[in-house]
Amino acid sequence: LTKRYPLYQLGNPQLRIFRPNWFLTLVRPGKEQPPDTVQFRIPMEMTKYDVKNYLEKIYDVPVGAIRTRIQFGSNKKRNHLHQKVKQPDYKVAYVQLAQGQTFTFPDIFPEKELKHEEGSMEEMQEKFMEDEKQRQRLDPRRGGVTEWFGL
Amino acid sequence: MNINLILGIFILKGWDWVGREKSPLAALSWRSPSSSVAPCRALHTTISRRGLDEFFDLPENWGETTVKSGAPWTAKQLRTKSNEDLHKLWYVLLKEKNLLLTLEQEAKRQRVPMSSPERIRKVERSMIRLETVVNERESALRMLQTGQEKARPGAWRRDKFGHVYWYRFKEYAIPWYMNRRYKRKSFFTPKFVQPHIRLRLEKYLRQRARKTSLERRTQSKLKEKFPHANISAS
Repeated sequence: LTKRYPLYQLGNPQLRIFRPNWFLTLVRPGKEQPPDTVQFRIPMEMTKYDVKNYLEKIYDVPVGAIRTRIQFGSNKKRNHLHQKVKQPDYKVAYVQLAQGQTFTFPDIFPEKELKHEEGSMEEMQEKFMEDEKQRQRLDPRRGGVTEWFGL
Repeated sequence: MNINLILGIFILKGWDWVGREKSPLAALSWRSPSSSVAPCRALHTTISRRGLDEFFDLPENWGETTVKSGAPWTAKQLRTKSNEDLHKLWYVLLKEKNLLLTLEQEAKRQRVPMSSPERIRKVERSMIRLETVVNERESALRMLQTGQEKARPGAWRRDKFGHVYWYRFKEYAIPWYMNRRYKRKSFFTPKFVQPHIRLRLEKYLRQRARKTSLERRTQSKLKEKFPHANISAS
């Protein structure tokens, strides 16, 4: 359900929106971007001024220049019924930060050591697999030589 | 037509939820210093202004498969909160949703399952309930002040097929008699549609009669088979 905002005519007071229903998604840029540029996916109804005010007021981020474009979502793929399936269109905003700030997209999924809790099922399974693998390995004193060779 | 908007946020800078140990989903209970609780100092929290870092979780939670989160806000809990608190909570939920959406998109990009995706639905539900509570309050205020039940004016109108529906008015810059597209709309039922309306009514009544008779038949059959059984509530 889209909200109907009052119509603007010359002389009307500035429209103020309480509780905006717009969500921004920070995305990793596909192509290499300058260090001060942040890439967002924004709803289609937002404009450059909206994004600027949004970031400045809600996130307190100094915004320099903004450029937007609309990405067409493909309508080429077909499903098992041979019907065309439309990927939704979305608007992309390239925001350049003011005051010489830079931003690099962080690595949010670093490799982490998976440690199971004591006495759990997964831990016992892990131990069992480890023991099995240990049995398959040859005597380390043979120095990698296979069992085919006598002695 | 651009909507030049200046977001009306008041007193947001003066408060933010305490660190990130308590996510916005847990029902926080904070009291004003002048309540009748045993002596406690007024709680002062520092506002967290991390700029673009607010689009990402705490670094400890990066790479986890599950992140703990509380229950969504219920309408009952939200009705106890003041308007200022609801306003602030809206922005807290908004930022949380932005965070989760960035996480979802990055997970899709890296082809990795997102940690606890149910958080997005929880936040959505909380926001919807907040909206309903705010609308309730606004509607009550409007009723008291002006006597209008609905914020958006409308009227009962007929369409070409004889249906009577609530037509909600739209705001235009010109009057209706200068609006060519609006004049092409017809809000009346022509005479030749009357037989169709009668047939439709007959069909509806026939379906309703069939439904009631079916229920009666099943009940009588059950009574025949199980004479001592209780009559079911349905």
